[in-house]
Amino acid sequence: MERRDFLKISAIGTASAALEGCGNPDHQLIRFIPEEDMLPGIATWKPSICTQCPAGCGLLVRVMQGEAEVIRHGQLGLIKMGLAKKLEGNPNHPINQGKLCPRGQTGLQVTYHPDRIRTPLARSGPRGSGQFKEITWDDAIKQLVSQLTPLLTDKKDGELAFVTSPLRGVRKNIVNTFAVALSGRPLTEFAFLDASVGQAANFASFGVQSLPTVDLGRSNYVISFGADFLGTWNSPVAQSIGYGTMRNGRPGQRGKFVHVEPRLSQTAANADEWISCNPGAEGAFALALAHVILAEKLRPAAAAGHASLPIEGWSQGLPDYAPEKVAAQIGTSPERITRIAREAAANAPAVALIGDTATAHTNGFFSAAAVNALNALLGSVGKPGGVLFSMPWTPMDPTRPLSELRSPKGATGADVSDSTHDLAGIISSKPSFVKALLLYNANPIFGTPESWQVREALEKVPFIASFGNFVDETSILADIILPDHSPLESWLDDAPPSGTAKTVASLAAPAMSPLHNTRAMPDVLLDVAQQLGGDLGKSLPWKTYDEALKAAFEHLRQQKGSVTATDPDDFWQKVQDQGGWWSVEEKAAPTAVDIAYGAPLKITPQFDGDPSQFPFHLLPYASQMWYDGSLANLPWMQEAPDPISSVMWGSWVEINTQTAAKLGIVQGDLLEVASQHGTLQAPAFVTPGIAPDCVAMPIGQGHTNFTRYASNRGANPISILAPLTDAETGSLAWAATRVKISRIGKGNMALFGGSLTETPPELKHR
Amino acid sequence: MSAHSFNRWVRVAIVGGVIVLGCSVLEWGLRAQEQSASPTPSDEVFTTQHRTVLAAIREYFGILPTPVQPIAFTHTVHLANGLQCVNCHTGVDQGPDARIPSVNFCMNCHRVIATDKPEIKKVAAYFARGEDIPWERVYGFEPSAHVKFNHAPHIRAGIDCKECHGDLATQTVAERKVNFTMGLCIQCHKQHKASIDCVTCHY
Repeated sequence: MERRDFLKISAIGTASAALEGCGNPDHQLIRFIPEEDMLPGIATWKPSICTQCPAGCGLLVRVMQGEAEVIRHGQLGLIKMGLAKKLEGNPNHPINQGKLCPRGQTGLQVTYHPDRIRTPLARSGPRGSGQFKEITWDDAIKQLVSQLTPLLTDKKDGELAFVTSPLRGVRKNIVNTFAVALSGRPLTEFAFLDASVGQAANFASFGVQSLPTVDLGRSNYVISFGADFLGTWNSPVAQSIGYGTMRNGRPGQRGKFVHVEPRLSQTAANADEWISCNPGAEGAFALALAHVILAEKLRPAAAAGHASLPIEGWSQGLPDYAPEKVAAQIGTSPERITRIAREAAANAPAVALIGDTATAHTNGFFSAAAVNALNALLGSVGKPGGVLFSMPWTPMDPTRPLSELRSPKGATGADVSDSTHDLAGIISSKPSFVKALLLYNANPIFGTPESWQVREALEKVPFIASFGNFVDETSILADIILPDHSPLESWLDDAPPSGTAKTVASLAAPAMSPLHNTRAMPDVLLDVAQQLGGDLGKSLPWKTYDEALKAAFEHLRQQKGSVTATDPDDFWQKVQDQGGWWSVEEKAAPTAVDIAYGAPLKITPQFDGDPSQFPFHLLPYASQMWYDGSLANLPWMQEAPDPISSVMWGSWVEINTQTAAKLGIVQGDLLEVASQHGTLQAPAFVTPGIAPDCVAMPIGQGHTNFTRYASNRGANPISILAPLTDAETGSLAWAATRVKISRIGKGNMALFGGSLTETPPELKHR
Repeated sequence: MSAHSFNRWVRVAIVGGVIVLGCSVLEWGLRAQEQSASPTPSDEVFTTQHRTVLAAIREYFGILPTPVQPIAFTHTVHLANGLQCVNCHTGVDQGPDARIPSVNFCMNCHRVIATDKPEIKKVAAYFARGEDIPWERVYGFEPSAHVKFNHAPHIRAGIDCKECHGDLATQTVAERKVNFTMGLCIQCHKQHKASIDCVTCHY
């Protein structure tokens, strides 16, 4: 049949179908009276804050009148309302300066996700079954109050565990005050990709417990040890802007970039030189560079100052780290080490970064401290073109004296410890001691190795409530779910510590009205605090979150910043219009160091698994799209191809071309990856961009229960990790597991190049 | 007729039959889905542009449904009583679209005016139920026309509403008195010496 015939026939067929029915489902829906009056067709741009990763970029949200399908008074219908249509970077914001990454753009889909929790839920089946029934907000809050009342009257410390994603600013103060006043235990911030090792090392070296702002734009030489600073590490948008300036923004002056990591990441692919070092040898590499600089007197040894104290043998010129001695351990040649050291010393300002897999070994703290010492030696700490530690905004906490009544270990304020071992403490030490667990956007069951047995521990907690937008592996255990607004529907505040040398206090009013029957988590806490009364009620005196925000921001009015106003209301409005307040000057954090490291640091990395039996290092890494797995529920992130492999909608195992040839593995073969602690299956992606003795997997897939888009898709490398931790900080050493590989058949992998499947087969329309 | 072309027509007929049958089944299935009464938003849509297959087909053939308005709103009476178009269709001089007033706006006057008329009682009933009046669209362009229309510059140029919408003083509910074709636009643009550059409207 010819194409023309086919079209003719199709026309006949479809025309007759068109005659049959004239039902337009839109016309069968109720239309609710609009709750706001908007001018149709005209877009307004409202500032907001990106919550997709901890960088804290500023957003502009395009809001236009549209029709949304919503439930009001128990009925389904349409409503005309202002809807967020597009997210862009806020040009005024000092961190992202108008730019936004793909993860940020996708923030829109959180609001319109078809599997968002639309109304409070109570568990109706056995715990973990995923059976919930809808309840009213009155019921939900009544249940929460009745469960928390005994904790308040018991006066026993630590009966409440409040596990959240990393929080900052006033939001953190409210949650923390609530947790401390109720049971004396501060909130526990959980994130698989937390920066606790880097933060702890920075505290030991410089006295500042945060990641630095990297002034790439003014740097001439950059050495990155594993830090995926253009993709996921620290403040990727700010760093990408700086990187662009370093490479192309200064006529006649192009900075050099060397990346040291066993895997060719997106960042490594941008480097002038990619050096594939052995896993865990990054610290030794940094000290070998320092040795050359010291031996050849390219920089004065004293320049390192306090940062050299944790490093053994610094004053003797690091004799153990002569390039000839450690080159084999690092996996490169002594000549190369010497050359890079000379280049770095000659091209000031030079800066070294460390993060991601390099700090995820059992010697992660040592490696980070070694890089800090190298940075200090290069004279790049607190200097233009180096690493800058700025003063983060710490909102005034008027509740502090009250909450200290019950604070056991000085546990209020902004400097609460936030690492995975806190969580381990809660769940492993005395699981039965925790009477109630509150969850907010944290998914520790997905983000911890199965060998930690977090699920088993949490299942024993008598009462669990979740405030999240989605049912995930952890919140499925909840007894009640009190769904939060989406970020675009919420008041937001943020105090990002890095990304700019300025002090930043971001603020956002809701960009749109809530679509569903949800309530802002801080508002619920304030309401519950008032109902519980006592110290708790007095510690949290505000009626709503925005009232608390206004009180906190009022303190900034007297300081020299981007917003000036004499009238408090005027100031409050102007801060909202701009998307926050930031200092005019760049102010460095005080670098007072009062910790002296007596004990020598653990230098040699330890790995789980016998090399003869488990020949490969498993290197999990943060996905460009799904980040730590918390964004895998967003279909735009699922269908966006990974920048290196171009894989979509699934997991893959990166394996070296030569290794694959030796094992008879070709592209797309299904592999079984086995550690001492578990196995998983994923297709092979054969690439020269990984060391022959390593395999790498992106984190983020392998959810068992996380909306229709992420559930039962791919495999989760975290699940098979060994429970090894960094020796100094106790953080999970998530790159220290050895695995073995076997081919078990033909796999299924959607690549952007070659197979243009935007939608996976099982989600295609029937 | 050669054997070859006979075979061809048999194939044509079979494929045609299958398509007609397929569409009927699809239509039946879609209707069944629409009628399920549970209050959960339907996230199953045909495409983002067209909720159903039918909507896509209609647009493809340029079939515009005749609007059936829920209330026999009379433009004649409102205009005769001295109201202007822009009193209700606000925003027409500011942006691309004119507002269709919500039931709140109607009730501003009809709390007291003509409350005994049956059509006004219908309006009051919508208001009491917390529902807006489900007006149906009369004018408009399908997405496939790839045309952007903006009311505001036309109002600023002094074009009378009736040039495009007919004389509403003689209509009860608005009817599609003027058929929007590109010829009509071009003719008027030429007459008023407005730009007839493609990208004036197609961008």
